Amino acid sequence: MSKQEIGIVDTRNILKSISERHDLDFKNHALTFFKRRLEHILDTYRLRGPDVLVDKIKNDPEFFEFFLKEVCIETTELFRDPSLWRYLKDKFLPGLLRGANRFKIWFPEVSSGEELYSLAILLNEMGHLDKVRFVVGSISQLRLDELQKGLLDMKKMEVNHANFKRIFNDARLEDYYTTRGETGYIDTGLLKNVEIERQNTYYERQPNNVKLIMWRNQMLYFNQILQERLLKSFCRALVPGGHLIIGMNERIDYWNSGKDYILVGEKENIYKKRFS
Amino acid sequence: MYKAIVIGGSAGSFRVITRILHALPRHFPAPILLNLHRLKHVRSGFVEALSIKSNIPVIEPYDKDSIKPGTAYLAPSNYHMYIELNKKIALSTEEAVNHSRPAIDLSFETAAQTYSRNLLGIILSGANRDGAWGLKKIKDGGGTTIVQDPKECEVPTMTEAALGMSQVDHVLNTQQIIDFLLKIK
Repeated sequence: MSKQEIGIVDTRNILKSISERHDLDFKNHALTFFKRRLEHILDTYRLRGPDVLVDKIKNDPEFFEFFLKEVCIETTELFRDPSLWRYLKDKFLPGLLRGANRFKIWFPEVSSGEELYSLAILLNEMGHLDKVRFVVGSISQLRLDELQKGLLDMKKMEVNHANFKRIFNDARLEDYYTTRGETGYIDTGLLKNVEIERQNTYYERQPNNVKLIMWRNQMLYFNQILQERLLKSFCRALVPGGHLIIGMNERIDYWNSGKDYILVGEKENIYKKRFS
Repeated sequence: MYKAIVIGGSAGSFRVITRILHALPRHFPAPILLNLHRLKHVRSGFVEALSIKSNIPVIEPYDKDSIKPGTAYLAPSNYHMYIELNKKIALSTEEAVNHSRPAIDLSFETAAQTYSRNLLGIILSGANRDGAWGLKKIKDGGGTTIVQDPKECEVPTMTEAALGMSQVDHVLNTQQIIDFLLKIK
């Protein structure tokens, strides 16, 4: 458990020093979430108190990259929520692929990569990986570097395999990764149509004509102001009738951005951009 | 008196929770925040199973849902569940704590920050040590703490860890826990 505690005032000071030094604005991240991350970082890097942290943020660029990685929360496992991935395989993607030429799928915050790897494996199993171009972003360069190497957290392989078995009858997850020592690597052949972009905290480097945005379990870490801002701007990136998939326990507030999107898959939390 | 009740448990706690929910009246005056470990890939069905005998609604909350009295909130599988100072739920996929996500310690700690002495924390049967530290946080914050009598537990590890970590207010069996809850006005 985290031992060091950081107050709200300290948290605000740190937010300020980040925006002054790095042109990144975390003030619309959920405040208690951000405070918790700071405490986690103090413990992980054995820093003595918030002043040391402020100093490192200002003067140690290498440390700041680790900081950003810690703020990009992992996407936890391959095929998280197998029922969603089954639905994508059997119902949703066949509809999307019908008649389509090549199209774009955007992961604004790819973080630890499991969501991208899962979708690439799924499309490969369906024989349509070549039809898709992935545009993949992160606020963390370290996360993007790890993604390009296809890094896979081996501690999660048991649950990865269990999820995989609930979606595919014949295929083998083993065919999609190799291990070297303690480290796993996803088959980088899956990533040949991936275009990578470093993002800022407003995810402003947007692709256009996107058919699907995968954005699961990211809104959790933002306050409503940032959620609304991003939902609005993501809507502009989508083609009319394009889709947005959010986490199983996230919700788009109808009275705000809910007007830009229609919920089309209630159990799976799949939204569609309204034609307007 | 109590503005919220947090309950943590893992192996062997399901039947106890079911009995508690069955005994509570429909207009129970406080929210019940449940954090129960379960199998990672069993996503659905748990809420339904708990609902069958419960008189109060049992829900898996969405992120940023408001906490209301007379409702049981079950930490969704594979998310941590935090209690925010504005009495809303916050979910996250941050790293597992005590090999657990949801981790009981995190729900307990943040509930203690929000409700301080108006919080009642209960640790039930379970197979690891998650929750012991959180229960101490509740006690330190002026709240009341209960641990299920280890003699009654299917798996006593969790309750014994909690008893070892802080001075617990009451050690009770299931029926006594129910009687305690029914006195809450």
